[in-house]
Amino acid sequence: MKRLVSPLLAGCLLAGLFLQPVALRAEYGDVVINRQAEKNGMRPVVFPHWFHRIRFRCKVCHAELGFKMRAGSNPITMTDIIEGRFCGACHNNDIAWSPENCDLCHSGKPGLPTGVFGGHETSGPGRW
Amino acid sequence: MNIPKTIALLASLLAISTQIHADAVGKDVYSKVCVTCHATGLAGSPRFGQAADWAPRVAGGMAGLYQSALNGTPKGMPAKGGHITLADADVKAAVDYMVAAAKLPKSEPEARKEEPKKAEAKKEEVKKPEAKVAVIAPVVPPSEAATALATTASAADANSFNRLLKPANKRNLPPPEDGIHDPANDGTHALQPPLTAFGSLPKSLAGNRVNWVEAIAQKKINPRYDRNDPKAEPIVMDLNIVREVKGSMPDVVYPHKQHTEWLDCSNCHPAIFIPQKGANQISMAAILLGEKCGVCHGKVAFPVSECRNCHSKKKDMAKVAIPAEAGK
Repeated sequence: MKRLVSPLLAGCLLAGLFLQPVALRAEYGDVVINRQAEKNGMRPVVFPHWFHRIRFRCKVCHAELGFKMRAGSNPITMTDIIEGRFCGACHNNDIAWSPENCDLCHSGKPGLPTGVFGGHETSGPGRW
Repeated sequence: MNIPKTIALLASLLAISTQIHADAVGKDVYSKVCVTCHATGLAGSPRFGQAADWAPRVAGGMAGLYQSALNGTPKGMPAKGGHITLADADVKAAVDYMVAAAKLPKSEPEARKEEPKKAEAKKEEVKKPEAKVAVIAPVVPPSEAATALATTASAADANSFNRLLKPANKRNLPPPEDGIHDPANDGTHALQPPLTAFGSLPKSLAGNRVNWVEAIAQKKINPRYDRNDPKAEPIVMDLNIVREVKGSMPDVVYPHKQHTEWLDCSNCHPAIFIPQKGANQISMAAILLGEKCGVCHGKVAFPVSECRNCHSKKKDMAKVAIPAEAGK
């Protein structure tokens, strides 16, 4: 068991070290969504929590729209969005701009993993 | 065997085969990428196989069409259909494939003069966001040199002072500089830089460096409680839960009020917290690992570095803690 765990831990630490400079600069609460995007030749999506929470309370997306509060647990596809689910519930050219503006969402650096960025307080190696 | 003839034959064969190859690529790219919009004419795009849709566009010349496909248009065509990784030649092949499918009557375009205009208009499109950035830039880094120095220091020097602490010039950076947005993407430059939005909001020392709870209390922002109805009022529950903690840390006062301003009961109950006294084991370790309070705090809500926001009830004082202070 120990043999298995230590390389895993080392891997996590290494990944943490490499991610650190990125996480350090990103705005607090920015979420990279990349389950589908890059597989389909698009840039990853960056979701800015700060921008949305100025306009909506958490409850709107996390209770009404059914976004689970764990990065990577929402299987969002463009079909969903166009048919009015997930982001498409508001990004429908009525409440917010329509999904035709691909590059406003698909604006992440290629290769970024899905996850919450900018929260250095809990993600730094050796911070606690 | 006549050598020049053979060469000519081979050359023509090669030309034909490359043409066939290009057609195949064009069809492939179309069926994987372009079809999303061009099959049904989404966003006013010319529909596949509809001569009427394509004729006015082809009249402008193929070079103009290629330009639009490669660089995008203000009307809504994304550069390379949004698939930036495609090779230019493949995009052109797809354009050729779609134009061929429209079966237009052959005629050489007259309106070539339009092309340079279009191109210029596009250039301006691109320039605009740059200008925006230039205006915004002075707000963020006070001195470019210092930024550069800090960057190299934090990247290279393992023993730099406060290695993991975000220095002031790395806070609330505009999207093109924040390390996760791709500056090569046009849309990135159209996004709002956080500082332009945070200017009038109450400050805090962590997270977005905005005190979001206070921002609502002071009515600086009024985020919608309902997706469609801007007037919907939140259902607020004013009930403080005091959690006694071990050791010398002050006890935790959990205010339902500030939480229900933002959230629905179902966001926390019963999946994260069982709504029953004594049923929830909460530890700082669990929170730091992203469980319990850590589902939000440390990711989007204020981070655990703000100890006294939660640990706000002094132990030796039997009096009631100031509940209003708890959520700040």
